[in-house]
Amino acid sequence: MRYLLRRLGFYLVAAWVALTLNFFLPRLMPGDPATAIFARLRGRVSPEAMQALREAFGLTGEPLWRQYFTYLGSVLHGDFGMSVAYFPAPVTQVIATGFVWTIFLAGTSVVISFVLGTLLGVVSAWRRRGWIDTWLPSTLAFLGAFPYFWLAMVFLYVLGFTLGWFPLGHAYGDDLSPAWNGTFIADVARHAILPVTTVVLATLGGWLLSMRNTMIAVLGSDYVHLARARGIHPRRVMLRYAARNALLPNVTGFGMALGFVLGGSLLTEIVFSYPGQGYLLVQAVRSQDYPLMQGIFLVITLAVLAANWLVDIVYLWLDPRIRDASS
Amino acid sequence: MRRRVRTIAPHLPVIAAIVLLAASACTRKQAATPGGVLVVSQEQQASWIRNFNPLTTATAARWPSLAGVYEPLFVFNSIRAEYVPWLGVDHEWLSGNRVLRVTTREGVRWSDGTPFTARDVAFTFQLMKKFPALDRRGCWGFLSGVRATGDRTVEFEFKRVFIPGFDEVAAQQIVPEHAWKDVADPVTYANETPVATGPFTEVRVFRNQVYELGRNPYYWQEGRPRFEAIRCLAYPSNDRANMALVFDELDWAGNFIPAVDRVFVARKEGHHYWFPLTGSSIFLYANTQRAPFGDLRVRKALSMAIDRDLLVDVALYRYSRPADATGLSDAYSAWHNQAIGESAPWMHHDLARANALLDEAGLARGADGIRRRPDGRALKYDIVTVSGWSDWVRASQVIARNLREAGIDASVRTYDFAAWFQRVQEGDFDLCLGWSFEGPTPYLFYRWLMSSATVAPAGTASMGNWHRYGSARADSVLAAFEREPDPTAMKQLSDALQQTFVDEFPAVPLYPNPSWAEYNTARFSGFPSRENPYCDPSPNKFDRGECLIVLTTIEPDTAVK
Amino acid sequence: MKRPAFDSHSGTGAWIHAIRRDRKASAGAIIIAFFVLLALIGPLFVGDSTAPVGIPLQPPSAAHWLGTTGQGQDVLAQLVVGTRTSLAIGFAVGLVVVLVGAMVGVTAGYFGGRIDGLLSLLFNVFLVIPGLPLAIVIAAYLPSGPLTLGLVLVVTGWAWNARVLRAQTLSQRKRDFVAAAVVAGESSARIVTREILPTMTSLLVAQVIGATVYAIGAQVGLEFLGLGDVSAVTWGTNLYWAQNDSALLTGAWWTFTPTGLCVALVGFGLVLLNSGFDEITNPRLQLERAWRGYLEKEGGEPSSSTPVVMRRE
Repeated sequence: MRYLLRRLGFYLVAAWVALTLNFFLPRLMPGDPATAIFARLRGRVSPEAMQALREAFGLTGEPLWRQYFTYLGSVLHGDFGMSVAYFPAPVTQVIATGFVWTIFLAGTSVVISFVLGTLLGVVSAWRRRGWIDTWLPSTLAFLGAFPYFWLAMVFLYVLGFTLGWFPLGHAYGDDLSPAWNGTFIADVARHAILPVTTVVLATLGGWLLSMRNTMIAVLGSDYVHLARARGIHPRRVMLRYAARNALLPNVTGFGMALGFVLGGSLLTEIVFSYPGQGYLLVQAVRSQDYPLMQGIFLVITLAVLAANWLVDIVYLWLDPRIRDASS
Repeated sequence: MRRRVRTIAPHLPVIAAIVLLAASACTRKQAATPGGVLVVSQEQQASWIRNFNPLTTATAARWPSLAGVYEPLFVFNSIRAEYVPWLGVDHEWLSGNRVLRVTTREGVRWSDGTPFTARDVAFTFQLMKKFPALDRRGCWGFLSGVRATGDRTVEFEFKRVFIPGFDEVAAQQIVPEHAWKDVADPVTYANETPVATGPFTEVRVFRNQVYELGRNPYYWQEGRPRFEAIRCLAYPSNDRANMALVFDELDWAGNFIPAVDRVFVARKEGHHYWFPLTGSSIFLYANTQRAPFGDLRVRKALSMAIDRDLLVDVALYRYSRPADATGLSDAYSAWHNQAIGESAPWMHHDLARANALLDEAGLARGADGIRRRPDGRALKYDIVTVSGWSDWVRASQVIARNLREAGIDASVRTYDFAAWFQRVQEGDFDLCLGWSFEGPTPYLFYRWLMSSATVAPAGTASMGNWHRYGSARADSVLAAFEREPDPTAMKQLSDALQQTFVDEFPAVPLYPNPSWAEYNTARFSGFPSRENPYCDPSPNKFDRGECLIVLTTIEPDTAVK
Repeated sequence: MKRPAFDSHSGTGAWIHAIRRDRKASAGAIIIAFFVLLALIGPLFVGDSTAPVGIPLQPPSAAHWLGTTGQGQDVLAQLVVGTRTSLAIGFAVGLVVVLVGAMVGVTAGYFGGRIDGLLSLLFNVFLVIPGLPLAIVIAAYLPSGPLTLGLVLVVTGWAWNARVLRAQTLSQRKRDFVAAAVVAGESSARIVTREILPTMTSLLVAQVIGATVYAIGAQVGLEFLGLGDVSAVTWGTNLYWAQNDSALLTGAWWTFTPTGLCVALVGFGLVLLNSGFDEITNPRLQLERAWRGYLEKEGGEPSSSTPVVMRRE
């Protein structure tokens, strides 16, 4: 329990750093966010209208430290300000439209990739220099070297655009309304296949290699040899003795990788016009919608921190040493 | 070996299920949309946010809130260059042109059944006075009062005689007093369930990827619109919207699409486009407050150095044509004086004469081939443009190459929109690409190109006239234009403006932008086309209400439903 | 002043020898050498890559081996020129990332205590903050250009190296030769630069390679999003323009396929080189290799067994 609380404390510090970065970045940089409002109008806004807007966006002349505390306070209340591009919608409302889809896409991809990669890693290490071990790591490392979005473009072009096997975008058909029924779920799955496959292919190699390498190290340890010598069934040795221990570093890596995979899935979303945070973020950047951009960054960061904490809980459950030490 | 396979065996069903699911879903749905629903892609958004406020600023007030849900007093048909009476049926100038009286249409009802009256018009303008952020057209810059003088008449009192003010009043979208009078802050009001006079007012579906607007049961045009609803799809980029267009998922769109004949038209019968050159005109602006661009010869030389044919090929896939000397697009065909437009030899690519003019201006080439000003400074300039606006970036690249041939060391510099906009507005540039200002008459167009009143000091942001050129000759013609309600006299003044522009050549016209419009006649017919050019075909032409004409004209193909 | 065995004979000759001995590493080295050569001399042969030389979006032909872009530029020329800029930024950022990581990591590991606590907290925080969104946010505020890109990549990339190098320093700190140097009264700076860092040469090289892989990938990603200088010619902006000029819609696969392949090849080459290094410099894998050689010589079957016996020294 103390372990988990300590981790929680750490994530709170991380969240505070992210918040502070978020506050100071725009204020340290050159440029005036209010000019961005001109973007869509191509300059047809009158100066009076501009001044009124400036006030609406809270661009006041208060001292910095005061703005900082006002900012912290409003973020704590879930107020991220108003979006410029979607004015006057609050940032939270805009983010809410696609947040579930990002979590769904990134979550599904990372879990599939982790499970599949780890399993393949176990197999690869157990059967060293078998055909899986010879070919799979290199192939996956090669695939992993491609930029996510590039793989996504190729998939979209070949499987979606040219062959017409998969939809070209969106999370579900435009004529369906969200509901918990077979049709809708199947449609969501159909739309998710290409993006998920892209992310899985690009990240599988990493899990495989790290699992394989730790497995090899663990397989060389005394207790594994002892278990073997005692004539315990090889599969049991592999799974209960070796894999379980080799899993620990991979689980730590899982937490780290979340942020990375999320970044990649944002890029993938853009290619597949998946209605998540990815395109929203890029659109916010392009239209200089700073409040929205920062809101998305913050929400993504908080989600990653929360997921990391969950991983810590899993880790605790997997590793009795920490469990014992902390109780 | 078998042992190993078994370890992943438990997971095989999962993988197989995924593959099967993929295979079973392998057929793309062929246009399941009923004929009564017009599927449109007008703007690219990652996600829809529910907001049907037609008055709020810039970004949230857009089609179809404008010219779909809500309507203006008069619709401007830019192809026929005429006003179409809409919520207003007539207008007249009174009291020495100081008062504009607009007669509103009888029998119009809001979508909740309440009758529309002139008081709604007056209310809308009063609201804009109270909340300047809503006054996007700056109407209260020339108005001093607005009041309804009856159920069907509203009078606009002007601060001074300002005939072009009618264009701004006419384009204003009108909101209902009874629904808006209690809105505390109309600037941030999302107006999720609009009460309006337009053809489509009922929000039937609203999700982040798609929304649907059903027809207004009380629409004032008998029997129109002729179809059930419009459905707007969110695509994050032009490219994705174009794919949907190619795959028959859209009926109407207003996107730039490259190689349109090959990519779209040739693909299937029923795929059509029409790109009339009625968009804003694109100029090369040279900062006339900085030497040597104050010199007319230098600006003419710039113009002659540019190969506009190559420019429109490379930048715009030949969808446009080189501009003529007046800079006017086809949206001003009623005003455009062809003789004046063709009178300027410096609109043609002629490197030898460009070089001769630059030599004459005292800008001799140095040993390195780069020209020098008399004080010895090399002509080394950035063409500042917006990163990501690929047509502009390409055009700038062509211009930079052309100018280098004439001994001007030009290079392209791209900035983010905000940074670029700040730079050009404050006059912190030597050369830049920019747009023109559009209105029903050339008044606004030329005002922002050469009126002394629009010249801001360097360092102060200015909406237009970034090249900071003021012409006394233009000022007097513009002043006369502001006071002239007679069409024949206006035409003469317009000629004078064009002649002034050509003579003084304050900016270098490049090409008129096309108005983008693609449509699919599989389910709908009656779109404006080259053969039937009854108005501008683009859904992007909502600013002065024009796409309302399309929405109330097209009809679903009865063969489909 | 005894140092770990595998570094005692370090020197360029030994490295080259080591790379040549390992099949993976040599494959990686050949790929990287090819691209470095391409980056160095390639641009001399292709002329101005930004010049419109043909009709836009032409498929590969004799005149343009890889076709033309949506702006009528030669794809091959853009690819070659892009190689130079992308690799230059990639390697430079890779170096700086490790440099920053090493400064923080070694300081934390060497001094320990409060300094360590604070610095560790710092890099751990940066490790959990998702990199790409942070990079996008920072890049959005700064004027676009190679410097911004470099800065953004360093800010989002240094933490991992700091973490690894801290751990390594911590273990070296406990070694006898460091203790001896401390007793001899040598300055901290000297101990770090003369005693500790040299023991980590191979690790540092591996880190630079890893960081370069990261830098190239992230750079291409950010530029693809239009966050780089879009008028520069790099791999990322090539892909950005391909997307911007509707490569998918117009079926212009040649505008994005070669660039993607090159990015992947360079990344893969670097990974191979690194895994080769790992096998060379990691004593455990080294022993395993010897064991396998021994088994093969003896006619035994190189099976899954790991030479535990030999691992015990």
